[in-house]
Amino acid sequence: MIPDLTRAAGVPRLVAVSHPMGQPFGRPGDAERQRAVLRAMLELLASAPGPGSVVDLPFEWHQTPAQARNASKDLPQSPIAELLMKKPWLVPNLYTGRIPQESDAATRMSDHP
Amino acid sequence: MAIDSYRFLDFATRQIMKAWAARLEPGVIPFTPLAKPLRECTVALLSTAGIARNDDRPFDQEGERRNPWWGDPSFRTIPLGTTEKDVRLYHLHIDTRPGEADLDVVLPLRRLAELAGEGVVGRPAPSHYSIMGYILDPTELLERTVPAIAERLRAEHVDAVALAPA
Repeated sequence: MIPDLTRAAGVPRLVAVSHPMGQPFGRPGDAERQRAVLRAMLELLASAPGPGSVVDLPFEWHQTPAQARNASKDLPQSPIAELLMKKPWLVPNLYTGRIPQESDAATRMSDHP
Repeated sequence: MAIDSYRFLDFATRQIMKAWAARLEPGVIPFTPLAKPLRECTVALLSTAGIARNDDRPFDQEGERRNPWWGDPSFRTIPLGTTEKDVRLYHLHIDTRPGEADLDVVLPLRRLAELAGEGVVGRPAPSHYSIMGYILDPTELLERTVPAIAERLRAEHVDAVALAPA
């Protein structure tokens, strides 16, 4: 959904689609779109000529970007967004991926199921 | 039409995603050709939407609230036949309501079964997987979670996996 980022991560095959986050295969109830996106992913397994193959799906979204953003406006801010509002000097850490050490970053190990 | 999903993001998130994309170095991209025709392949799906069954452990959101630089790097198994009635999505960075209204929005198990019925793929795997996509430090994901998922995929003779960001 953010094909730049997925491509930069070096995936073997990539299907790019312009859908809002949280709805990669299409909106609820849109079985036809969901099937088309999944089918394109599966067919690329066989048709990709080599590493880094990209297929663009030229699908329209039924909302404008503003409408799509507004639909999620009532959600609470994420913990990192809240933190960075309070401590804006830490914003560069998020950009660069340098996780601040003072923030109790003791990597917690959750048990594997 | 260029595929531009940045347009759905707020300004701050867009800038961060662009910075991450510019910073990442793909290096050598792995590639394994399919070993058999697609119509004979067993296929599994993996979603980053933070899906957990109601009879399984939720992803740890309290841990992330305590330390917003941390995200739960574990995974959950989602058996074939699971629907939106059986799950919740634990992800503090996306709108989880569409995926909770219709699981095929994030993990299209019914669509996969339909495509298998049409002969596009061989069969859906018995097990599918979810992780939670907000993980700034991927060390544990790469060192523990990914090998554990790969081991299960091999045990179920899965030929191909479709990874879906959320």
